[in-house]
Amino acid sequence: MPTTPKKNSVDTIFSSITAVSAFSVIILIAGILYTLVDESYPAIEKFGIWNFLTSTDWDPVRESFGALTNIYGTILTTFLSLMIAIPVAVGIAIFVTEISPNFLKGPIGAAIELLAAIPSIIYGMWGLFTLTPIMSRHIEPLLKSIFADVPFIGILFQGTPMGIDILTASVILSIMIIPFTASISRDAFNLTPSIVKESAYALGATKWEVVKNIVIPYSKLGVFGGIVLSLGRALGETMAVAFVLGNNHRITTSLFDAAATITVTLANEFSEADTDMYFSSLYYLALILFVMSFITLAIAKFFLLRAERKYSR
Amino acid sequence: MADNIEIEVKDLDFHYAGNVHALKKINLPIHKNMVTSLIGPSGCGKTTLLRCFNRMHDLYPGNIYKGDILFQGENILSNSSDLIALRSRIGMVFQKPTPFPMSIFDNIAYGLKLKGVSKKAALAEQVERALVHSVLWDEVKDKLNASAYELSGGQQQRLVIARALAVDPQVLLFDEPTSALDPISTAKIEELTAVLKKDVTIVIVTHNMQQAARISDWTGFMMLGELIEFDMTQKIFTAPSEKLTEDYVTGRFG
Repeated sequence: MPTTPKKNSVDTIFSSITAVSAFSVIILIAGILYTLVDESYPAIEKFGIWNFLTSTDWDPVRESFGALTNIYGTILTTFLSLMIAIPVAVGIAIFVTEISPNFLKGPIGAAIELLAAIPSIIYGMWGLFTLTPIMSRHIEPLLKSIFADVPFIGILFQGTPMGIDILTASVILSIMIIPFTASISRDAFNLTPSIVKESAYALGATKWEVVKNIVIPYSKLGVFGGIVLSLGRALGETMAVAFVLGNNHRITTSLFDAAATITVTLANEFSEADTDMYFSSLYYLALILFVMSFITLAIAKFFLLRAERKYSR
Repeated sequence: MADNIEIEVKDLDFHYAGNVHALKKINLPIHKNMVTSLIGPSGCGKTTLLRCFNRMHDLYPGNIYKGDILFQGENILSNSSDLIALRSRIGMVFQKPTPFPMSIFDNIAYGLKLKGVSKKAALAEQVERALVHSVLWDEVKDKLNASAYELSGGQQQRLVIARALAVDPQVLLFDEPTSALDPISTAKIEELTAVLKKDVTIVIVTHNMQQAARISDWTGFMMLGELIEFDMTQKIFTAPSEKLTEDYVTGRFG
């Protein structure tokens, strides 16, 4: 069927607009990467890559910079927050998909989404004014009295609990990523075909046995992908952590010490970066964070894709 | 009740949540060590009836049973019946193969472990017996630790049957077990039912009338939630008493 010329030109304009929108994303990514590399180039040249990654120096006066304290803080808070968030989030997902009566599924789902929608600055304020005193007065002294004298893990609970520290920051972070992990885990659990679950029930399995032996093994790739996505979020989270982490460029073993993450350093120090090398080193940190986030996202996508392929039959 | 009746359905009414009246005053016997097939057009309630026998409907809220189902003289619809014990005595096989995400061995051993069998030797012995029983042993004996997903569809379905057999059920419920299989795999499953009925009572839902005629001793014809006719398979397919049954088995509708 011949198309009218007018319609054809509308079509062309329409496709061009969509194409431009789509390509602008790629251009943006490339542009940001270029800026990061370009601005951090003086620091890359001066400190090298391996040296910068492994140096614990962060001395603006002598203009000697290294990323390790920031990377350490970032990885430690992210790891701790995942340790707290994963069990809770998976628990939520199991309850919503397998246990909760239908009339509760909607409200719980909505509450999870609301939790995800709260701006991170509000988490930060809440963390500083509400959570920090609770942590320093009640929870941290309790942890200290229990664990401080235990060999090996005692090292994590030394010093005076001030509340502005790694542990509080991790708790805040975990609250922020729970909705994320929970909703992705819920979607993964829902992919388990009901006929397979019914088969287990038909053999005399209980709810717990079905969840443990069928649902979780069936959806572990999807859940893992969700965890890695949350990890990406925790890596990049700034405002909430900046309020409660302090800003301390030292490698500490106690969770009751202040620390620094890449994001917090960036947020706090750009305004005081008075030398070119300082400025360039901050950009270098940003570049490292960019690469870390990119790798996490790639891993998450890989697992989610594999999960989809394996079970979408 | 006569000794040769395994299950007796008495005045069974079933409503799905939302008040869909899916089964209406069903009465029928399931004879011991025989194959009983349930046939009828889509939506007639045959699968719904099958899923009453192991109370599968209880997994979803709001469904209501009325009437009695006597299994070896005991009413399984009473509130006090132990569903987990019931389901280990009445096994079920579904439309599609449903291997669990674990090895071939663990698939078969799963029901045994649920029942508390934990000794390795006992597990191995019963797994082998179940696989031999479902005529799958020769095909999988060298790869018991491989994932169950590596088997073909027909092998997976026999694996699922072996899994159900491993816990020593008295009844096996087959819900269109060959609808997703090729003709050769279908033939193997059909041969298997003839062997299995020496040890277990089989109820099979099928939309394939030839299959019902080939493998079953008794046949129930259902339509719109009612059991229209129940009789020896040969009689249903050669000299049915009801006009509706005759029209259906001769292919005039359905």
